[in-house]
Amino acid sequence: MTAARLSSDLFNAALFAYIAAMVLSFAYLAFRKRPFHVAALTVGWIGVSANIGSIVARGVAAHRTPWGNMYEFSSLLACLVVLAYLVLVEGRYKVQTVGGFVFAFAIFTMALATSFFYVGPTDLLPALNSYWRQIHVTSMIVATSLLATGCVFTILYLVKVRSERREVSVLRSQDPPPILGGSVDADAPPDYVPGADEPVGAATSPAPRRGLPPSATLDRLAYRFIQFGFPIWTFGVMCGAIWAQQTWGRYWGWDPKETWSFITWVIFACYLHARATAGWRGTKAAGIALVGFVSLFVTYYAVNLWIAGLHTYAK
Amino acid sequence: MRTALVLLGLLALASAVGSLLPQIPNSPERVGAYLVDHPFWGQLFLRGGFFDVFGSWWFSLVTALLFVSLVACLIPRSRAMLRAIRQRPVQAKELEALPHHVAFEVAVPPEVAVERAQRVLRRRMYRVAAAPDGRGVAAEKGVLRETGSLTFHWAFLLLLIAVVIGKGTGYTGHATIVEGQTWTDAAFNYDGDLRTGRFSSGQHTGAGIHLIDFEDRFRTSGIPMDFASEVELLDANGNPVRRDEVRINHPVGFDGLRIFQYGFGWAPIVVVRGGGATLSDGPVVMVQDAGADGNQLAAPGEGFVKLPTLRPQYAISLELIPDSTAFIQSLISGVPQPMTQVRAPFMRYTLWQGRILDPSLNGLDTRLMHKVSTGIVGRGWTVDVEHGCVVSGTSGALPKGLARTVCPAGAPAPALTLSFPELRQYTRLQVSKDPTVPFVLGAAILILLGLVAAMYSSRRKVWVRAEAREEGTVLQVGGYALQRKDRFEEEFPKLVADLRAATGGGRREREREGAAAR
Repeated sequence: MTAARLSSDLFNAALFAYIAAMVLSFAYLAFRKRPFHVAALTVGWIGVSANIGSIVARGVAAHRTPWGNMYEFSSLLACLVVLAYLVLVEGRYKVQTVGGFVFAFAIFTMALATSFFYVGPTDLLPALNSYWRQIHVTSMIVATSLLATGCVFTILYLVKVRSERREVSVLRSQDPPPILGGSVDADAPPDYVPGADEPVGAATSPAPRRGLPPSATLDRLAYRFIQFGFPIWTFGVMCGAIWAQQTWGRYWGWDPKETWSFITWVIFACYLHARATAGWRGTKAAGIALVGFVSLFVTYYAVNLWIAGLHTYAK
Repeated sequence: MRTALVLLGLLALASAVGSLLPQIPNSPERVGAYLVDHPFWGQLFLRGGFFDVFGSWWFSLVTALLFVSLVACLIPRSRAMLRAIRQRPVQAKELEALPHHVAFEVAVPPEVAVERAQRVLRRRMYRVAAAPDGRGVAAEKGVLRETGSLTFHWAFLLLLIAVVIGKGTGYTGHATIVEGQTWTDAAFNYDGDLRTGRFSSGQHTGAGIHLIDFEDRFRTSGIPMDFASEVELLDANGNPVRRDEVRINHPVGFDGLRIFQYGFGWAPIVVVRGGGATLSDGPVVMVQDAGADGNQLAAPGEGFVKLPTLRPQYAISLELIPDSTAFIQSLISGVPQPMTQVRAPFMRYTLWQGRILDPSLNGLDTRLMHKVSTGIVGRGWTVDVEHGCVVSGTSGALPKGLARTVCPAGAPAPALTLSFPELRQYTRLQVSKDPTVPFVLGAAILILLGLVAAMYSSRRKVWVRAEAREEGTVLQVGGYALQRKDRFEEEFPKLVADLRAATGGGRREREREGAAAR
């Protein structure tokens, strides 16, 4: 079997493993039965291994680092998102119920890659033959995966905030329990997070309930991922500028990909500032992160698909 | 800060518009098409500067406002930070009330314990101040957070300035140089697309680039591997300074200029003689148009020779096939083959007579001209252009099937001859002057360092008090972190352990760990 064939077989294996892991994760979210979670994690790790194997085989087949076009970027992006989830969210922050959404994102990315972007392992144009390519592309994909994961948590956070608000309003409409001698404190909105930097685990300590983790936990997870991804994004854009200076003779030329990476940078910078500003925390900041999510996807997909520019070789 | 963010958001919005609408500097032809297709919106956008967003007055205005807002925000913040650095940590009293608090007995007298605690804290990079009564220490750490944040913002400002100055005073354009020729940096020598900055003095360096050799290498699949121009660089007086090689991804710096490999093509030497005089002698720069399939290398090169001094005027349009083997293969297979080697090159020529409407060599307007003759000319041949027959030159390795009509013996001397003695290549280099590139790079590095420092450091405060009790000395340690509280939760016990080891504490502990941060 050739390396190219092995690569696409492993790609499919990873895709199916992620689908299975997604189903198992959602089953765990719904029924809270331990075996579902263990199975989801196991299958998830199998998927990541297959994904890594596919990427390595692709590199062997093409005799270069396997991130030179959109298909390869997407495969790497899915791999990093799942890896970030398994290592950071499951391993470090011990949040176990959000895996299904992360797997769903990875599946979406990989499905787009096979259906729209597939190309065989080929040589690159000489302009791409620079070590800045390795640094630029690697950091952009790592940053994209971190920011995208953060945005998945932002969406979950907004969903959870809605349901928490509904609970509060239900409590409010009921008569106050006589023993408390007063109304439920419904005026403190649930999106108010006093310390954004508090440990993620602290908010998970209350008795586990069905459904998603508390909104405060999701908010902090989102913040952690975006905070981690933002400097890497900055670094990646700068490396791109250095490479552009070498190859195209200018470090910045308002090429659509450059423009959109700048727009994404600005939006996430606004998010980080909003998080540090009283009155903008919570849902407002989350709204900015959602705009950032859209911009991230315009940068990643739309620019290549619909807007002509110098980055079209990444098709 | 909010103003700056709004302005930054406006810049982002404007950039989004700029990436969605065609822009004059990048694709003027698409702007023209837009104006034809949508006359109303097109005119509106044109007036509003939406077809040149990044060069429009309002984009500059927002940038300038952002600049002012940043300065207005940063100066007071920097002052406050300098004050904070000079200020000594403030003493605290109620250590029990702090989120982290420990008390234990130590073996040494209070003064010694305080002395040693200071040393421990200093070693851990805290800024330390002793209480006036000598029984307490206040310590702080984490100036890096605000320093980093300020570094980031000042560097962003520097970046903005450097970009504006660099783009404003610099210029960039393309130079076409045929092998063996020398090009000089002067405004009229560029290919007509010279872009100069707004504050440019219009002065050029006068430096020269002499192309010794151009080399292109391809894989067998026709995918390019490398392009390199071997050049000799000359100073403004024309004296050679050094030899260098301009390659893809390997630009060359010279006399404040950056020279980049941009393109390449064929340049056959064409000699036209008529009436005993040489009418034209020199390389003809050939342009290869990528066809519908986008395979530029499979397309023949196109070039023109114009003879406006003759009456009536003549022009010759030329079509170059550099690789006749690949050309024949294309004809047989129907699939255009890339022509990457020189194998029996030849040109198809067409002689036109009439009035030349456009003196430029980029194209030929034949509306007032008529075709006189056509034919082919191989390398090393001389042909009678008017009669379309070969005067001298052997068929060489030219493929069979290509018509080669020899002029009949005893015919009168041709009035106009065309010779193709040599096939050369030309290189297209991008020549740019941007004096602030190093500053932009420096600012970018500072932005990154500041960002990481601001995000991954945290402000922490620790106090130590030693009190003499009847049974010995009790050391109280309290502290809290303003950011990254989970890290401090791990750091605080280690700090306490160090203090305990330094003061000989630990005997008969009375430890009351304060409630963890909410």
